[in-house]
Amino acid sequence: MRLTARSFAGRSLVAGALVLTGSLGGCGVLPPLPEPVPSDIVPSAPAGLSPGAGGGALSPDGFDAVERMAVRIRNVGCEELSTGSGFAVDEHTLITNKHVVAESEELEVSTYDGHDITVGTTSTADLADLAVVRTTDPLPSFPELAKADPKPGDPVTVVGYPAGGELTVTQGEVMSTTRDPLNANLGEVLLTDAPVEPGSSGSAALDAKGRVIGVVYAKTADDDSLLVPLSTLQDMLADNTAFTPAKGC
Amino acid sequence: MTEAPVVAAPGPVRAPVRRGSRVLAVVLVATIAVGAYLWLTTVRWQRSSAEWEEKAHGYAEEVASLRMQLDGASSELEAARDQLSTATARIRDLANEKAQLGDENVASQQYLDYQTQVSAAAATVASALGQCVSGQEQLVGYLKEADQYEAADLRRYEQQVGSLCADAEQANDALQRELRP
Repeated sequence: MRLTARSFAGRSLVAGALVLTGSLGGCGVLPPLPEPVPSDIVPSAPAGLSPGAGGGALSPDGFDAVERMAVRIRNVGCEELSTGSGFAVDEHTLITNKHVVAESEELEVSTYDGHDITVGTTSTADLADLAVVRTTDPLPSFPELAKADPKPGDPVTVVGYPAGGELTVTQGEVMSTTRDPLNANLGEVLLTDAPVEPGSSGSAALDAKGRVIGVVYAKTADDDSLLVPLSTLQDMLADNTAFTPAKGC
Repeated sequence: MTEAPVVAAPGPVRAPVRRGSRVLAVVLVATIAVGAYLWLTTVRWQRSSAEWEEKAHGYAEEVASLRMQLDGASSELEAARDQLSTATARIRDLANEKAQLGDENVASQQYLDYQTQVSAAAATVASALGQCVSGQEQLVGYLKEADQYEAADLRRYEQQVGSLCADAEQANDALQRELRP
């Protein structure tokens, strides 16, 4: 009977020790054993940062998209020479003013980087100061058209070749709509304070997102600029009879 | 003989001592177990800490190296941006120069064509004036010997010379007007 009691006591000791140790460890009093050190640590990527971040503003050659779609137009007339601006709306189509291509013996088109573009056909609109020039060479870039005409106060960017000089980008905002003082366009036109000069005619007017909102066609005595609005351009482009082949000199 | 009464020792008196010993024994075993566990934990954490420290040093060196590479790449990127900016400005200038030269070339060609037309017109006018002078000289010769010619023929020839000279003078006037600045 004594041996049995001792054995019972020993078991009780071990059990008690285990219970005590287990309860201490289970309650978090004892520190756990460390996890094995991983062989490699892969950090989580920081939010908002990726290798391509900020790459959207890059272009193939460092020029902005708004510059790449602008063209310089040299109108070699029978007796005189004039220059104007234009812009691409697709890979082989340019938009400019009717008066830029009028009385032309030959049109010479060059891009922002000085490349010459071979011109195919030219057609002009009867009811607006607009012309469409088809090219046989591909154009480097072309912008989107905006969804609707701009409202007064909206920012406007004009890209063209004022005075036949360097490619220039000017800023301003839409001031109002008005009747065409030159009576060259049907309906209303846009008045903006973006600076333009002779030679800017045919320049693209763009909104803050770089989308076309109009075509520069004249300058007022107050140094404001007049635009053929986008809606007129779209109506003309949608009408197959709106443009007729241009008459040379 | 009276037997002394036998008094049995009371058993339960020793129980508290044994219970206390057992409790002490349990505490001792538990303490030893906890101590052993803490020793093991300490050793493992030391080993883990050393490994982490070694890894941290490795990553720190890697970060320093990457930072140096990043600084170098940033400098190169800045230089490349400057070069790109210079190149685009140069391209813009060259495109403009080409356009201006093209304009001048076309204008020169148009002026040359104009001069060619003026020269041709001047030659025509000079020829007409020469014919006028020749006709007038011929007429003067005829008039000197007027008695040898029919008066009607002389008048007709005089009218022809006069018409020729009038056309020549008209063409000359037109040329002079064209040449007037």
